[in-house]
Amino acid sequence: MSAALSFEQAPPLSVPFRFFLTAPLFGIAAGVLFALEGDAVLESRWSLQAFAVVHLLTVGFMLQVMVGALLQFLPVAAGANVWRPRLLANLVHPALTLGAVALVAGFLGAGAWTMQVAAVLLGAGVLLFGAAASVGLWRSPAIGPTLRVLQLAVAGLLVATGLGVTLASGFGWRLAVPFVLLQQLHLAWGLLGWALMLVVGVAYLVVPMFQLTPPYALRPSRALPAALLASLSCWTLGALADVAWLAWWATVLGAAGTVGFAAYTLRLQARRKRKVTDTTLRAWRVGMACLLLAVPVSVLARLGWPASLLPRVEYLLGVTVLAGAFPAVIAGMLYKIVPFIEWMHLQRVMTLPPTMQKVIPDARARWQWRLFVASLVLLAGAAAWAPLAVPGGLLFAAACALLEWHLLRAVQLYRSLTPR
Amino acid sequence: MSSAVIDARYLAPPEPMERVLEALPHLERGQSLTLLLHREPFPLYTLLTAREFAWVTTLGEDGTYRIVISHRP
Repeated sequence: MSAALSFEQAPPLSVPFRFFLTAPLFGIAAGVLFALEGDAVLESRWSLQAFAVVHLLTVGFMLQVMVGALLQFLPVAAGANVWRPRLLANLVHPALTLGAVALVAGFLGAGAWTMQVAAVLLGAGVLLFGAAASVGLWRSPAIGPTLRVLQLAVAGLLVATGLGVTLASGFGWRLAVPFVLLQQLHLAWGLLGWALMLVVGVAYLVVPMFQLTPPYALRPSRALPAALLASLSCWTLGALADVAWLAWWATVLGAAGTVGFAAYTLRLQARRKRKVTDTTLRAWRVGMACLLLAVPVSVLARLGWPASLLPRVEYLLGVTVLAGAFPAVIAGMLYKIVPFIEWMHLQRVMTLPPTMQKVIPDARARWQWRLFVASLVLLAGAAAWAPLAVPGGLLFAAACALLEWHLLRAVQLYRSLTPR
Repeated sequence: MSSAVIDARYLAPPEPMERVLEALPHLERGQSLTLLLHREPFPLYTLLTAREFAWVTTLGEDGTYRIVISHRP
C-alpha cells in the first residue's frame, strides 16, 4: 500500500536538504571561533566576537534549518503551498548563506562593505522567503492552532530581520541608528517572536506525530503563543517609550510562556505511547530543560544581579538558549525528519524503501547527541571557569561536524538508491 | 448514515493514511468513514480530492481532529 502513497504537496528533496546540509557548517565555525575568541565573548556580549559567534549560531545554523524545514513543513503540515519552492530555494539559500558569511566577516573586521552586503542579502533573502511563506499561510485552509502560530513566527522573522538589517546598515553605511534600543528589540523578536514561536508551532505537530504523545490541548495551545506575543508587545512598547514596568511585564509573560511550553511538552512526552527513548526524544528533553533553565538565568540578567558577574550571567543565558535549547531541538528534529523525508521520496520510486531507522540508525545519532551534551556542559562550565571555553567550543564544532557527516551519509544512501 | 471509525491517534506515520486508503474502496455511498488523528492530514486531503471523496474536519478541545469522509455528492 505504501507505494500508493502520494505526497504531491511536498517539495523536491533538494529544497530542504540544501539548507540542512549548510547549517552544521556554520555550527562548526561557531564552535571553532568560540574556542579561539572565548575570552572576548565571556567578557561582554557586546563584543564584536560575541556578535560573530551569536550570528553564526542564529543566522548561520538556526535560520538555515528553520527555513529549509518550513519549506518542507508548510504544505504537508499546514496545507500552505509555497509558490515554486525550487526557485525560491535557489534564490533564498545562497542569499542566506552568503549573507551570514558577510555578516560574520563584518563583525570580525573585514570592512564596512561586508556589512552592506550582509544587509542587502539577508534582507532580500528573508523578505522573499517571508513573503512566499505568508502567502501560503494566508491561503491555508487549516483549522488548528498551528496555522496561527506559524503566521506569527513568520511575522516575527520579518520584524527581527528588519531590525537586524537596520543595525547592519548602521554599521555598513555608518548611519546614526539607536543601536542599544534596536539591538534589544532585534534580540527579543528573533528569539521569542521567531525561533521560539516556530518551535512551538512545529511541536504541536511533530511531538504527538513522531513520539505518539497525547496532543497539545486546544486552550493551552492558543494561550502559549498569545503569552509570547503579549510579552513581545510589552517589551517593544516598554523599550520604545522607556517604561520599565512594561519591560517587567514582558519578562513575566515571556517566562510564563516559555516555562508553560517546556513543562507541557515534557509532560506530554512522559505520557507517550511509544516507549522508545531515541535521540530525537533525548534532544527534545535537553532542549526543554535548557529553556526551563534559561528562565531564572534571564531574570537574573534582567535584575543585573550579581552586578560583578553580569557578563557571565548573560553568557550563561546565551549558552542555554543559543548553544543549548535551539540546537538541541534542531539536531533532534533533523535526525527524525531527514530519514522521514528521504523515505517519503524513496517510496515513490521503489516498492520496498529502507526503513527510516536504516537511513540514519539511532546508535549513530546517539554519538552526536553525546558529543553535543558534553560540549554543552563544558560551555556552561566556562561561565565559572573560562579555560573550559576551548574544549567546549571544539566539542560543539565536533558535534556539528558529526551531524553534517550523518546527513551526508543519508544523502549518499538516497543517491545510491535512486536512478539518475 | 452509517459510519466506520479509524482511531489513528497513536499510530506512527504513514500508518493512519495506509489504513484510510485500505478502507476507502469499501466505503459505499451513503456511508461515512471517520478518522481520529492528532493533526490535520493535508497529504490525505490531496488523495481524497483525487478520488472524489468529500470530508469535513472538526477540532475538539482535547486537540483531536475528527475527519468525516464520504463520497462526493
